[in-house]
Amino acid sequence: MIDIDNLRKKALSEIKKADTLKKIKELEKRYIGKDGKVSDIFKKIPQAGKEKRAKLGKEANKLKGELEEKLKNKRLKLEKCEKEEKVESFDPTLPGKKPDLGSLHPLTTARKELTDIFVGMGFSVIQGPDMETGWYNFDALNFPKDHPARDMQDTLFVKGEKEKVMRTHTSPVQIRHMEENDPPIKVVVPGRVYRNETTDASHEINFYQLEGLMIDKDISVSNFKSVITQFVNEYFDGDVNVRLRPSFFPFTEPSFEVDMSCSVCDGSGCSVCSQTGWLEVLGAGMVHPNVIKNSGLNPEKWQGFAFGMGMDRLVMIKYGIDDVRLFYSGELRFLEQF
Amino acid sequence: MKFSYNWLNSFFEEDLPKPQKLADKLMMRFFEVEEVKKVGDDALIDIDILPNRASDCFSHLGVAREIAAIYNLSLKEPEIEFKSGSKELTDFVDLKIKNELTPRYVLRGIKGIEIKETPEFIKKRLEVCGLQSINNIVDITNYVMLEMGQPLHAFDGGKVGDLIQVRAAKKDEKIITLDEEEKSLDGSILVIADDKEPIGIAGIKGGKGTEIDEKTDLIYLEAANFDGKTIRKGSKKLKLQTDASIRFSHGLDPELAEKASRRAIKLMEKYANGKPLKGSLDLYPDPVTLKTIDLSIKKTESLLGVKISEEKIIKILESLGFEVKKESDLEVKIPTERRDISIEEDLIEEIGRLYGYENIESKKPKAEVEATKKPEDLFWEDRLREVFKASGFTEAYNYTFIDEKVKEIFGYDDLVEMKNPVSAQYRYLRPRLIPHLIKNIKDNEKRFEDIKIFEIGKVFSKKEEISVGAIASNLNFREMKGVLNSLLTELNISDVGYERSSNSWAGEKAAKVLVGNQEIGQIGEVSKELTEKMKLESKPIVFQLKLEKIVKLASKTKRYKKFSRFPVAMKDVSVLVPVKVNFEEVLTLANKAAGEDLIETDLFDLYQGEKIPEGTKNLGLRFHFQAEDKTLSKEEIDKLLEKIISSLEAKSGWKVRKK
Repeated sequence: MIDIDNLRKKALSEIKKADTLKKIKELEKRYIGKDGKVSDIFKKIPQAGKEKRAKLGKEANKLKGELEEKLKNKRLKLEKCEKEEKVESFDPTLPGKKPDLGSLHPLTTARKELTDIFVGMGFSVIQGPDMETGWYNFDALNFPKDHPARDMQDTLFVKGEKEKVMRTHTSPVQIRHMEENDPPIKVVVPGRVYRNETTDASHEINFYQLEGLMIDKDISVSNFKSVITQFVNEYFDGDVNVRLRPSFFPFTEPSFEVDMSCSVCDGSGCSVCSQTGWLEVLGAGMVHPNVIKNSGLNPEKWQGFAFGMGMDRLVMIKYGIDDVRLFYSGELRFLEQF
Repeated sequence: MKFSYNWLNSFFEEDLPKPQKLADKLMMRFFEVEEVKKVGDDALIDIDILPNRASDCFSHLGVAREIAAIYNLSLKEPEIEFKSGSKELTDFVDLKIKNELTPRYVLRGIKGIEIKETPEFIKKRLEVCGLQSINNIVDITNYVMLEMGQPLHAFDGGKVGDLIQVRAAKKDEKIITLDEEEKSLDGSILVIADDKEPIGIAGIKGGKGTEIDEKTDLIYLEAANFDGKTIRKGSKKLKLQTDASIRFSHGLDPELAEKASRRAIKLMEKYANGKPLKGSLDLYPDPVTLKTIDLSIKKTESLLGVKISEEKIIKILESLGFEVKKESDLEVKIPTERRDISIEEDLIEEIGRLYGYENIESKKPKAEVEATKKPEDLFWEDRLREVFKASGFTEAYNYTFIDEKVKEIFGYDDLVEMKNPVSAQYRYLRPRLIPHLIKNIKDNEKRFEDIKIFEIGKVFSKKEEISVGAIASNLNFREMKGVLNSLLTELNISDVGYERSSNSWAGEKAAKVLVGNQEIGQIGEVSKELTEKMKLESKPIVFQLKLEKIVKLASKTKRYKKFSRFPVAMKDVSVLVPVKVNFEEVLTLANKAAGEDLIETDLFDLYQGEKIPEGTKNLGLRFHFQAEDKTLSKEEIDKLLEKIISSLEAKSGWKVRKK
């Protein structure tokens, strides 16, 4: 017995109830698919009585057409809904999911940027030991023995090792380099240095310096001004003025402090530059003949300039960091910002 | 050092520019001015006099000389002439010095002095410079020190025996100083003594016993020149730094002693109504001679990089009180107070700063083109940093120092110790990065769940070396090992192996990192003992590597390896093995059995638990088969898989299930 009406009713009701594309797909398979229920009817037609065959064929065809149509309509409707739903639920303001990216220490980034600028001007990068002998840290650099000039830098001495100190500056590397290399010399030396000081927002027991040295036949103060002006403008990305003031370091003669116009207020005076419009950024000078001699070179023949800057301070100026101790705190809320 | 503006002004007929303007100029021509402050009708100018100029510029006269040179003014020297009475100093006292550490000792006397209020102008000037008025005599000695830079000492002549000597202190000799402190001395310290006992610590502080008081009538005034090194050492040893010791430590001009002694007596005659004794005792065995330095105009131009006329150069030098004679070069005679000038470059500095560095134009140096170099260490360090960053690690810079507590917790011995740390926090140099890395976790774990930190820095044990360290609070051993492997792969280091090996910070769950047979570092989970001692909530995984070894193994060159264009077939099996079996053992067997067509083996599952017999673990393995030269047929692949399985099952207690 083939009950087409019943099948039709059931199918139409199911199609009506179907609310997902997945269900429609199932219904398509169940009713009008290759092994579906409508196909079953066609398969059974030959067994029916002769007079019924034509009628059955006609009705089955009609049913097939109808179901095909209904399913198709329902599918289109559902597809449209789903699409609309997707568009509606799209919210570009939902928070993004961060990839797991790490970060480099701001002093690493600064060291790279700073040395890159000098490399661009033809300087090579060199390094030296953190634990130094008194000779390299002081004597060779023309610090008189038992003189208050040695107290300019609070020194950490190594126990049990005569004459060993934690280097107070990167300048010993100048000597080490000149001992091994003939001029012309153009080098910069990044590195950690140590001062035996009580720490506060602007003083640390260890911090970083970048040392520079240029030795040739005819290098002058005027050349130094040119190199350092280019450097400061490159690092601070702008129109920065530079001025030299007299100073004293045992290892340079003449010696100067180098100020740059305040990058925060453009030289008009602010709290960063204590209203002076200038920021002290480095110490420098023409290498003292004794230093050249102590390195095994002839000071009659060679001359040049040396400079040293506190990298921590430069980075603090550049990024507006107000406490040097943050650099060494391991504080992720700080480090992750870089 | 603090200076009184009015005092500086008193050396000149003309009015000086206003204090701030003067300070700005001094800043560009002389030294840094730290503060300008109005004090009553005067102003305080605080100048950072650096050590080379302490010998002449720890004094108003010295700074006035600079001002004279800068503004081209003429300077009035302080008055030093006085009228002596008829009594001879030598009738009262004799002087005995057998000591090379006293280049000069000048003693003068003045009698009939009145101890009274100090004149107002002296009091005010001292106050601006930070000194309190005591009485007219003491104030005058301080005044002359601030004026001329020569420390002076006034003894109450009535309390001193008839001999004054300078000698080394005897061992454990005692003296009570003016501030009523008893000091125990030794042979490295110089004392002023009479025939009985010390009456002052030379160059550092006077003694209580000969102090000026209301009844003082006779004064012996000492203006001496002591060896700077000796005074510096003595002052450090006694932990007693005074205005006098600071000046002597820097070294003073012996010529100054005589002038300053006259100046003080002059002022005592005037403001204490005393009658100066005739003559002086002046022991000065080896008078200083004037230095002459040759100055080349050419060298000056070469060093400063600017052409300054000879005329201008001479003018600058003369403004500073130097005598200049024109020979082929310039011959420059240096005044004795300028102890900082000893070579040509010193003179060039004087010319440069007074000419004005702002007047020197910048010129690019002539230079040859040469390839720049970078140290190997730094190159590889930076490569590692990039990989760490890409792996989600944050870079920390920690202190080079550790304290006693860390030393104990980690059981370190043989540490490099500091002799004079300003705080116990900085007592030892770190021998490893690990202690600080663990502290980084501790400091951050309250706010962050998933902490990954690395550091590349110096560590110190027998030698100074660079260590690479990383820590992660929330990774498991395999994830951390993955990070380590990526680092090494990026540096083109192959043949990396791991060998179980306990160590002090990780206990049992640790391994050596090997390249070939060479150990390059360790990896492991921080031991329970340590996490408890450090009060850590998480159980971090750490690895540390020696940079030196990595740098030797790392290579900048990569070789392209032709890849096979034929398909890869994957087969999964699971192997049940005793728990003690290492993955590597399984891998080695599989590789040996299948040969080169087995290109990769993944461990996609590792199970140990209730569903399998106790004492076993289940490894889920995925084999990747691929040939270089053809597509492997189904039969070939099955054959390879069978070979692997039978080789694994040959081990007793191993069971394989195909999937």
